[in-house]
Amino acid sequence: MDRRTFLSLCLKGGVSAAVLTSTQLSAMQSLLNQQQYNDYKALVCIFLLGGNDSMNMLLPMSGQDKADYLASRQNLAIVDPISLSPISSLAETGLNPALAPLHDIFNTGDLAFVGGVGTLLAPTTLDDFKNKRSHIPAHLFSHNDQQARWMHGKEKQSINTGWGGRMLELLEDHPHFASNISLAGTNPWQTGHKTSAFAMSRSGQAKIHAFKGTSNRAQQIEQSVMRNLAASQSRLAKVYGEGLSTGIANSQAMNASLENLVPLPDFGEGRLSQQLQTVAKVIASQSQLGTGRQIFYVTMGGFDTHDEQVTKHPELLAELATSMSEFNRAMVSLGVNDQVTSFTMSDFGRTLSSNGDGTDHGWAGNQMVMGGAVKGQDIYGTLLPQRLGSEFDVKGGRLIPQVSTEQYSATLAKWFGLSASDIIELFPSLGNFDQATLNFMA
Amino acid sequence: MIQIKAMILLAIMFILGACGGSGSGDSAPSQEEGGSQPPISYPKMTQAQASRLLHQATFGPTGAEIDAATNLSAHAWLEQQFSLSPTYHLPLLKLSPDKEQATYINRIDTWWHASLRAPDQLRQRVAFALSQIFVVSDTGNNLRSQPEAMLNYYDLLLKHSFGNYRDLLQDVTLSPVMGTYLSHLGNEKANVELNIRPDENYAREVMQLFTIGLEELNLDGTPKRTAQGNTIATYDQTQIEGFARIFTGWTFADSTKWTRPNKDYLKLMQVWPEYHSELEKVLLNGTVVAANEGPENALKLALDNLFEHDNVGPFISKQLIQRLTTSNPSADYVARVAQVFNDNGSGIRGDLKAVIYAILMDPQARDLSQAPAHFGKLKEPLLQTAQLWRELNAYSQSGYFITWGLDETHGQVPLGSPSVFNFYRPDYQPLTLAGTELVAPEAQIANSATSIGLLNYHYSSLVWRIASTKDDNTGNQILVDFSDHAKLVEAEGKTALIDYYNQVFLSGQMSDELRRELLGVFDWAEKQDLQYQIAYCLFLLVVSPEYAHQR
Repeated sequence: MDRRTFLSLCLKGGVSAAVLTSTQLSAMQSLLNQQQYNDYKALVCIFLLGGNDSMNMLLPMSGQDKADYLASRQNLAIVDPISLSPISSLAETGLNPALAPLHDIFNTGDLAFVGGVGTLLAPTTLDDFKNKRSHIPAHLFSHNDQQARWMHGKEKQSINTGWGGRMLELLEDHPHFASNISLAGTNPWQTGHKTSAFAMSRSGQAKIHAFKGTSNRAQQIEQSVMRNLAASQSRLAKVYGEGLSTGIANSQAMNASLENLVPLPDFGEGRLSQQLQTVAKVIASQSQLGTGRQIFYVTMGGFDTHDEQVTKHPELLAELATSMSEFNRAMVSLGVNDQVTSFTMSDFGRTLSSNGDGTDHGWAGNQMVMGGAVKGQDIYGTLLPQRLGSEFDVKGGRLIPQVSTEQYSATLAKWFGLSASDIIELFPSLGNFDQATLNFMA
Repeated sequence: MIQIKAMILLAIMFILGACGGSGSGDSAPSQEEGGSQPPISYPKMTQAQASRLLHQATFGPTGAEIDAATNLSAHAWLEQQFSLSPTYHLPLLKLSPDKEQATYINRIDTWWHASLRAPDQLRQRVAFALSQIFVVSDTGNNLRSQPEAMLNYYDLLLKHSFGNYRDLLQDVTLSPVMGTYLSHLGNEKANVELNIRPDENYAREVMQLFTIGLEELNLDGTPKRTAQGNTIATYDQTQIEGFARIFTGWTFADSTKWTRPNKDYLKLMQVWPEYHSELEKVLLNGTVVAANEGPENALKLALDNLFEHDNVGPFISKQLIQRLTTSNPSADYVARVAQVFNDNGSGIRGDLKAVIYAILMDPQARDLSQAPAHFGKLKEPLLQTAQLWRELNAYSQSGYFITWGLDETHGQVPLGSPSVFNFYRPDYQPLTLAGTELVAPEAQIANSATSIGLLNYHYSSLVWRIASTKDDNTGNQILVDFSDHAKLVEAEGKTALIDYYNQVFLSGQMSDELRRELLGVFDWAEKQDLQYQIAYCLFLLVVSPEYAHQR
């Protein structure tokens, strides 16, 4: 086995990285850097758990549209929007003022909105919905099913695989463990047929107490633990044994690569900020890890605003916007802003009608895409009218998406380097739409 | 008392399958109704059998508990547990020193105290299982500042653990904690002028998660299929809106104003009829609650409608099986338990005591030789730590069990799930099992970050917190006591300790390889204090795959 094969195997968890010093790791990195790609790209998925009321991020500023909006949203209407001037639109659009930290990023062209996105198997009309035609996605309005549909990108073969993990498998025969990193645990998006996410804690730290130190004790315990894990007998024992032994090896490799990083701009204390800070650190250490492509998954909870939406939702959006702007600053300072694209996903949009002090599970919503490669300062897709009883309203202000989650995701996958045929393999229902991808990526 | 017919039926199934009973057993109480069946004799459990049952039915057995259970049959041990009065959590709440108000960490402390020390272990374990089905959580919401309310909710689960599922469903529905968590507290009828319609949150989740699930099920838990092979949805938006109307008009008890309710988080919610939707409500299976039925009667009809749905038996039984005995019950096992849910033998539906009995006395649960090779489940991280602390008489000088950050060290927090979907899905399949029919729900929280978090937690619990190595001022540190184990080594040698660990932690199933590794510790660590040798040994055991797989 040559050095390159050995290191590659080691980083994939085949061999314990504990036997390598960090110097040895970095000495071999250049080999891996040349492995497959001429460039580096990363996708960062920010999943807004619970279903963001994202129709309330972008608001009509005037005229009948605004009157309709105020009538439908009532006490949940945003009355003091910030004016946005998208490049390709004559009409002004209002930005929810809680998203103010993103205003400058929009104006400098690093942020775009995609309107009217949701789960679809084919273009869908109100008539299709009322007649329960077969292409209506199953279990609409259910949290976990709709989250899964955003993530798997293919009529499910298994509830557990998703387009992020499968995309890496289309690009690489054996994806590097560090190409697939979650700050929020196991998730379908990052699970492929043979790979799944390497999960890191928010702080990024994963020192192993029992193995620390140079004593005989540390060495004996490590060897004994690893022998026991390798000796897993039953299938369920193997789930644990293989999972932990791979986790240990990969964590040791990651710990080594995270030593001696360049300083990053400050991040806040919030959970999303902390996760994005660790993502930024891993991106900063990317040359040590030698991964050409990386996908990251971070989450923010609390968006299921069935009640107290008037106070809760602006706080959520403000935290989201602040964290995203911190991440933008970090990417710019690392000089990788053009190579890193972050994007939001969320279970569903919410009802335009109110349940008194909140909203219920809807369908279409708006999403955000951020990074130097984004054709920013613009709004793509369709800004759906926020009017009850419109041709898009299946009931109570649950709006029929005009852009499928797969078109949205395919646009990101194409930028990431997937070929047209791989994209169809990943998102087979795209054949039902006029365009496979949108135009929001350079 | 357990419903006798179901109990005897199961006991017969068990005995027919069990290898010849040895020694004297105890007998079932004589039959009250029908009285013609002969009394049934139940064999006493061996140490290994007792350990196995107690792993399934408690927060992890101690050596002393296994010894005590070894004098009993499985049936008698369960009867004994069923007869114990509940240890409720709220009365055990202890404030932090110099504090006048309880906080989140006090409720976690209370949970540890009760789970580790309550004699009614089976009830505690079942309530923990129910807390993962009827999920409420104070993670990331305002319930975080209501620790008494959270404890009171857990007490509600404890109260009904051996009661009837219909009563449980009603109390869960009317709990102000659930009302806050799933937002039906303060939910009001539609106001067409303001485009306000009833909140659908509880309506949706009570069906999807607490009663029937998304797809029509057979008695054995498998989905029903159409001729084309498709599954059949149990409900659509029409039923959601029907149930959403049902759950209007309820708010905190004893409120004088609907808009500014008195925030009593302990009493069940009360109804304000003028805020209840009196419109017609379309429910399941074609049932319609007519207009103007009145809120209380409408609620009764709706909960009956859910309770009577054919899915409830298999849906709830299968999840309880998964929490207690095995992630992958055979269809027959599910059907046997669901049948007991549907009818406990005396015509009563929803008798949870009979259901728990059926789960634990099933031949597959009691006799490994009759169970499939994949029988069992991955041990939940909290159950691992609980067993260690029970066996090692864990305590702190301050008297508290202060455990911050359980989400990162254990991947789970009691009543602290990230969402109403619990810590893991019942159908989660890790990649290691791809291509099989098997699932391992608990693997969903065993990612590289939490697995290493738990590895570190076990190491620090066992090696850094040995009571005899500490000075006086240890404050909130949770200490463990190896002195009994050390005495055993001194009196009978290291092999005796490994034999003891085999019974207590692995129900007598330890492999030769693991035994060699554990004995090896006493060689490579021979220069260290015996307590450390024992701590390393136990650490290696609890992080081994054999301990992870409860069989």
